[in-house]
Parts: sequence; C-alpha cells; structure tokens
Amino acid sequence: MARIRFEGVGKRYPNGFVALEGLDLDIRDREFLVLLGPSGCGKSTTLNMIAGLEEVSEGSLFFDDALMNPVPPHRRDVAMVFQSYALYPHKSVYENIAFGLRMRNHPASEIDRRVRDAARKLEIEPLLERRPNQLSGGQRQRVALGRAMVRQPAVFLMDEPLSNLDAALRISMRAEIKQLHHTMATTFVYVTHDQAEALTLADRIVVMKDGVVQQTGTPDEIYEQPRNTFVASFLGNPPINYLDGTLEVEGREVSFRRGGLRLALPPHVAQRVASQSGRAVTLGLRAEDVDEHGTPRVDETVHGRVTSVLPVGSDQFLGVEVEGRPQFFRVGKEMRHREGDNVALVVNVNRLHLFDRESGRSLVW
Amino acid sequence: MTPRGARIGRSLLLLAASLLFLGYVLAPVAWLVSSSFQSESEITSKPPHWIPHQPTLKNFEAIFGAGERDVTYETRRKADPSSGGFIPSTAKNLLPSMWNSFIVAISVVVLNLLVSVPAAYAMAKIRFIGRQTSIYAMLVTRVIPDIALVVPFFLFIRKLGLLDHVGSLIVTYLAITVPFSVFILVSYFESLPDELDKAARVDGCSRLQALLRVFLPLALPSLVAMILFAFLTSWNEFLLALMFTQTPASQTMPIVVASFTSDFTISFSFINAAGVLAVVPPVILAIVFERYIVSGLTAGAVKG
Repeated sequence: MARIRFEGVGKRYPNGFVALEGLDLDIRDREFLVLLGPSGCGKSTTLNMIAGLEEVSEGSLFFDDALMNPVPPHRRDVAMVFQSYALYPHKSVYENIAFGLRMRNHPASEIDRRVRDAARKLEIEPLLERRPNQLSGGQRQRVALGRAMVRQPAVFLMDEPLSNLDAALRISMRAEIKQLHHTMATTFVYVTHDQAEALTLADRIVVMKDGVVQQTGTPDEIYEQPRNTFVASFLGNPPINYLDGTLEVEGREVSFRRGGLRLALPPHVAQRVASQSGRAVTLGLRAEDVDEHGTPRVDETVHGRVTSVLPVGSDQFLGVEVEGRPQFFRVGKEMRHREGDNVALVVNVNRLHLFDRESGRSLVW
Repeated sequence: MTPRGARIGRSLLLLAASLLFLGYVLAPVAWLVSSSFQSESEITSKPPHWIPHQPTLKNFEAIFGAGERDVTYETRRKADPSSGGFIPSTAKNLLPSMWNSFIVAISVVVLNLLVSVPAAYAMAKIRFIGRQTSIYAMLVTRVIPDIALVVPFFLFIRKLGLLDHVGSLIVTYLAITVPFSVFILVSYFESLPDELDKAARVDGCSRLQALLRVFLPLALPSLVAMILFAFLTSWNEFLLALMFTQTPASQTMPIVVASFTSDFTISFSFINAAGVLAVVPPVILAIVFERYIVSGLTAGAVKG
C-alpha cells in the first residue's frame, strides 16, 4: 500500500533533453492510474522514476511521506512488468517468479508456496520447469505478471505490458489485469499509448505530451471534457473532427459559423463565450455524436457529401466532406450510403467541444 | 549438368578447399609434434618424414631432466641424450619459464575479469557523461603498435621497480588486453536488453548483484572468448617480455624457447619438444571451453 506523490518533478538528461517538466501528481493508495500519451511524452520516464530506475533531477518524489529521491530500486517496494517481459533467459519459469523473493531472503517454503499460488492463479502451473524461450508471447506475459505478483509489492508498475500481444489476447489480458488490481488491492501505475486500454483499466488517466501533463481525470472526464485539442484528439475512434470557424452572437444565442454551416451552441457553452463574437475558434465534433435518423433542424445539422464508406462490423465509419473539410462519423450499419451521396446528419449540440483556434485550449472546460 | 550433379560438384569443391585449408593450418603443428618425437639425426635426414622411424621420448626426458645437469661447452655433447645433437645451455630454464608464463597468463586473465566485467557493464548499461568517448578512447589505444609503447612502458616499469619481475609483464599485458576485453563484453552486454537490467534491479538486485546474477550467466560465451583472448595473448607475447625480463626469475616461455636458437649450436628436436609443451596449455583451455568458443567469438557481431 502506498500513496505516491510527485512535487515539481522534472527530468533533464545530460545532453540537455528535458523528458519531464514540473510534474505535480498525487497517486492515491490502491488507485489504478494510467499514464497515457504518444511515445516520447515522458510517461515511461515517470514510471521509471517511481521504480527508481531513473534519477529525479528536479523536485521530490514521496511514497506516503517518505522522500524516495535517493532510494535505489532494490530498496523500494515496487514490482514492474515490462513491455518486452524481460524474463531471465537462463532461469526456469519457477526461478524467474521466485527470483525477487530470493533476493529478499524469504524462506524457501514460503517462496515455494507463493510461486505455486501465483502460477495457479495465472494458469501457468504446467510451465514452471520451462525456460522463457519455450513459451509463447501470452505465456511469457503471464510469467512476467507472476514475477511481479508474488512480491506483493506496495506499488505495481506496468510499462506497456500488452503491446506485444495480439489483439484478442490483449483484450482478455486487460480483464485479467483489472481483476488482478481488485484482488491485490495495491497501487497500480500503468503506462500505455493505447487509449482503449487507458479507458477500460483506469480509475484516473494522466494524459501527457512532451513531458508535460495535459489533463488528469477519470476516463469519463478525459473523454467528455477534454481540456485541449491534444487530449480531445488522443481519445476517440475514429478521432474527433475539427472545423475551424468563428463565433456569432445574436442576443442570447451563440452559434458556430463556417461558410454555410451554422451550429447553435448549447447554453452551458454559450454563456462562457457570450461576449466574444467573431472569435476564431475550432469546433470539436466526436464521430459518434451525430444522428442520421433525426429530423434535420435548423442550426443543428451538418450537410455534406459522402466520400468514403468503411464498414467496421458493428457499425460503419462514414467519410463526409463538410464545408470543404473531410470528417469521419460513426453511424449505424443499416444505413446504405454510397460515395457521392448527399447526407444530412443531426448533431448532438450538447456534446460539442469548442477550442481556441490559436492555443487549442478548450473554451468550455 | 543436372541440378543434382551441380550440387554434388559444389560439395566436392567445398570439401577439397576445406581440406586444403585444414592441411595448410595443421601441417606445421603436425610437423612440430612429429619432430618432437624424432632424434636430431632423423629430423635432418633427407627426405624428412612425417612418421618417426624410431620414435623417442628423449627430447622430453632432456627437458624434464635438464635441471639436474650443468650444461657446459665441454659436457653438452655427452649430456645430450638425443642422438648426438646438442642441448642448449639454457635448457634448465624451460620449466621455470613455463611456470612464469602460467603465473602471468592466469593473473592477466583474473585481473582482466575483475576490471573488464564491471567496466563493460557500466559502459553498456549506465548512461554517464563521456560514455561513448571512453569506449572509443579505449579502442584507440589498441591502434598504437606495441613497439611504439615499449619505451614508455620500459621507463614506467623501471620507475615501479618491476624490471625483471613477472609483475612487469602482468601490468603491461593488462594494458594491452583490457581494452579489447572490455570491447568484447560491451558489445555483448549491449545486446542484452536494458529491461533485463531494470527487471533485476526492481526485483531486488543492486547494480553489482544484477551484474553477477543476471548478466554474467548470460554473458558466459563472451566471457570465455575474453578469457581465451587474454590467456593466449599473455602466453604468446614476445616483444614486451624480451624487453622487461632478463633472468630466468621472470623470463617467460617464448623468451626461453627463442634463446635455444642463439646457443652454440641449435638442437631442433629439443626446441620442437619445447614447442609441444608450449602448445599444450592453450589446447587444453580450448578443449575445455570448446562449446562456448564459436558463440562467444561471434557475440556482438549479430545483435539479438
């Protein structure tokens, strides 16, 4: 059990590269926190700092109230699962799992009990005598999980643990990791660039870019209330659509305008930008926030010409050119669209996002 | 030609080329061994023959018995047991020099391990300022020919008071072998994933324990290559040994064997028997480590 606190933490490499800047983050005890971002955003650096594998060059890192900056990894009570699994090739599965306990001088009988217990939970008992090179990717992943589990650590770290698995296995392992978090009742910090993993696993998500935290919040908050265009684009499949335009204020009505397109903004948005007529903004429209069955209403409908139809099994992605900009929408598959058709899609205006065109910052949240 | 005929033809060609190469490499060794069991008169007979007509162990007896005799100009003909040739006046130095060679080679191997392994681990797995530079700097020292280093080495050794002491050889051979040993190991350690190092340290290993418990077992093939390299370099080295040793107290085997050729007269049979003895330790070492050698020497060449 541990609460992890970053206070103004930064990481600067000798060559001058800044991997992380001014990180303030409070990871609650037993929380499942996901660090999400593209490669090079500093998420792995953050994780390595918790493990003690990278030095903290600025600021302080606490476990509960103990300052951890100078503590080497083998004196921290953390376990870690790596993307490449990093199993010891010269040791059997049993010895791989037992290694961490042996290094901490646990009695042999307890080591044996814990290793077999973990192996049973992970259904890898028949593999205990094998070497890692005799295992499949999924089996190696389980061994890596087992190696971390048996330690019963205060902090459980995972660095893109599912990236090397095939798609089907990835989904079932997600469920198992979530289950593992429930049974272990310990703090999990999980690094990924996969939005789906983040949304399914996390209690809270930290979205990072270029070493700076963009937004911290629950999966719903991150998805529904993105603070800037980066966060909004990073989550969602297909990604959110953007249209540049201007604000138009008429009395208490505020609307977004681009060429022939006009969309009325809902009251909670309108009141924030009521005095900013003519402001250059970017409208964010999530792919699923349209309804092709609705009756077209003035100021709540986008018109466009279908440029592509991409069925994805459960539904279909529709490429539509709106006001000269290609947009992608997710619609039901019962609609028979063909390329070149003209469509009218009713927009759920309550779910529109509005960003400052210059800075990309949300004007709503 | 049919494809099958072409394949057989190709195999035969490869076989013939291999045999030719093998003969080229092994013939001198075969002659060395054969002649060590021949008397001086048999070696010099015409035509020379590969199989001794009258095999004799007297050359070896002479080596192992040399310590008991005092060979002088007057006694050496009488003292020579091998068919009227001569045994060198320095014959009795051979076994002590072999011991010296052994001490030097083993010390160099052990010190190489102690220095190169941690150095290579640090260079491969710890990111510190000047890491690349230090690797290149070490390699650059090996571009300088040994002969250019003899004088500075000599002055240095004299200052240390190590002239005519096996210590002088251990120190200078280390300077020659460590850079290459580190290079062999760095390339191997670098091929082992960083995450393995991280996993070990999160699992409870200090840096040293990670090195000893995870990296060393995995690096065994390249360690063997390094051990062989350091041992053979020390065992065979001639130039520096010639400069820094003057008496049997510190002379190594190559020096003493070479001295046999500068005696009053040369006994080839005796020299060849000494040569056989010189070959034995490296061969034993190679046989012991045989299964690691190939993978070790190619380690680092191909990553993964």
